Amino acid sequence: MSTTPRHTPYDQLRVLYRTLLVFATVGAAILAVGVVQFAYFEPIGQSTGASAHIQGVYVYDSATGKTVGPDRYEFPRSGEFAAVVDWSSVPGNLTVDARWYDSFGSLVGQVGPATPGDLADDSVIPVRVPQGFHYVLPGTYTFVVERLENGQPVEVIGRRFAHVDRS
Amino acid sequence: MIRQQAADPQSRLRPARYRAAIVLISAIVIALVVSSILNYAYLDTIPGRASLYGLIAVALIALGTFILVQSYDRDRAKRRRHLIRAGVLIGLGVLLWLLIIDVFLFTQSAGPGVALVCTLACIPTTAVGLIVVRRLDRNHKEPWRLVLVAAAWGAIVATSLVIWGETIWEEGAQHALVPGVGLDTSLAFMAGILEELAKGLAVLLLFLVMRNEFDDVVDGIVYGAAVGLGFNFLESISYMTNIYSIFAPEGFGAAGAGVQWYARQVLGLFFGHATYTAFIGAGVGIARQLPSLRQKIFAIAAGFIVAISGHFSWNAWATHFPVDNTVFGLVEIHLRTLIMTGPYVAALLALLIFGIRYEGQNLLEQMHKEAATGQGAILPEEVLILSSPWRRLSQRMHALNRQGFRAYFRVSRLQTAQLDLAMERWHRERKEIDTPLEAEQQLRERVNRLRHWVPT
Repeated sequence: MSTTPRHTPYDQLRVLYRTLLVFATVGAAILAVGVVQFAYFEPIGQSTGASAHIQGVYVYDSATGKTVGPDRYEFPRSGEFAAVVDWSSVPGNLTVDARWYDSFGSLVGQVGPATPGDLADDSVIPVRVPQGFHYVLPGTYTFVVERLENGQPVEVIGRRFAHVDRS
Repeated sequence: MIRQQAADPQSRLRPARYRAAIVLISAIVIALVVSSILNYAYLDTIPGRASLYGLIAVALIALGTFILVQSYDRDRAKRRRHLIRAGVLIGLGVLLWLLIIDVFLFTQSAGPGVALVCTLACIPTTAVGLIVVRRLDRNHKEPWRLVLVAAAWGAIVATSLVIWGETIWEEGAQHALVPGVGLDTSLAFMAGILEELAKGLAVLLLFLVMRNEFDDVVDGIVYGAAVGLGFNFLESISYMTNIYSIFAPEGFGAAGAGVQWYARQVLGLFFGHATYTAFIGAGVGIARQLPSLRQKIFAIAAGFIVAISGHFSWNAWATHFPVDNTVFGLVEIHLRTLIMTGPYVAALLALLIFGIRYEGQNLLEQMHKEAATGQGAILPEEVLILSSPWRRLSQRMHALNRQGFRAYFRVSRLQTAQLDLAMERWHRERKEIDTPLEAEQQLRERVNRLRHWVPT
């Protein structure tokens, strides 16, 4: 505070109010960019009605490259697991891929992109243990079979979840 | 004595804002009860030890209820005091219970020992943050009890409020959207909207209920930042324990938790939740002094929009900022925070500095006017001292050197009362308070009583 009162010729509260409105306009523009970004990566009207048959998620033996046991949702941290896709269930003219994401959203397993016919030998899609780690990370994993257009995933035609325990 | 007309002794705003506060509080209580039941039933069962620790909360609520019932058998003069005691005990019980639920929901993954260490690590940094935030108001500091209530809301109530909203949104998005940028953008909107709304409710409630302690844009920024610091406190503990439990089997759980602590409690202490919610406070603080309802709504909405956009942009785009896996990556992490959140902090500081200047000039004007009345609450020669935080401190130090701590605190109380009076006059002149004129006279009498005890 200075020592003498100053009678300002303008209402300072109005300046504060208008400044905040300017900031809010910039904020609204930022949110609008977010909406545009969302719309670009989640385009409307992309549903083809196609669906991929995911046979299940199983314990995976990396030595043989084969799955073992029944379809399940929960896995111990020390184990490995993989999804099995029946590529013959997907229309042959589509470009597709299959991916595993961990709970941080990191890509931890993938086959494709290619046509379902080209992926016939890649029906088992395992989760990779991250480089430098001994085990897969705990949390919920998402497995998706995606349809791509111009190299960009535009539709999920099959989805499964799996949970890895912390212990 | 000069007779002054009361600014607005029969304000129609008062009942309206109390009604609004009651509606908000009722909605929050219902949301919390429903959330607790759903948490118990579907998210995670609360371990048996929660019930054990929860006994303290149950005891507090029981004692509070007992005093509440008893208060109606006492005479009217004592009833108010007992009602306040009952309210405080019940409030503490509810907060403690929510804290227990929060702690077990968020931290049980790593165990109570790790959770305790993480909590102890976050307390000093959050305390420093609260001290700094409170000191931002150079002219008229907010009472500690309200700053701490704001922080407690952020830590306990706001985090409890968002659990279900975020769970439903996240589940829905993960079942419906294409993983990748689209899903990340949706989750960034989720965090920005739901978390800022939950935190902003605290600021709105303070505005509706504690109008006398919510003066202007500066107060709004202080309360908003305090709510943000409280939220950041519990979120830091939750991330630290979660990261610890994920990476401990790989041998770097402590390092992971340490990185989280640095990112959230040092680098992001002010460059994060505190800044976002301070914008909501700024909007509410500006609305506090605006004349028309339309402008008030615009100002509050503007504060929310800025807060949500800041939170959204960080969550959506921070991962796109290049951070190398080398030593230079450490520099880039700091640059990322500075570049992405720095503009928001700078904009907030601009509002704060302008607000302090605006408040200071008006308080000075009111002090001059009060001194001119000759009623003795503020003497002409005191205006110079009261107008400067440094001169006020110098006056207190002078009292300390001459007559010890007691004199220091007496001078401090006198200065606070004098500034309270100037603030009251300012609001009355602008017709933005609904307390009767007697309140101003009582403040004047309080100053004169305090002056009696202060050494010359």
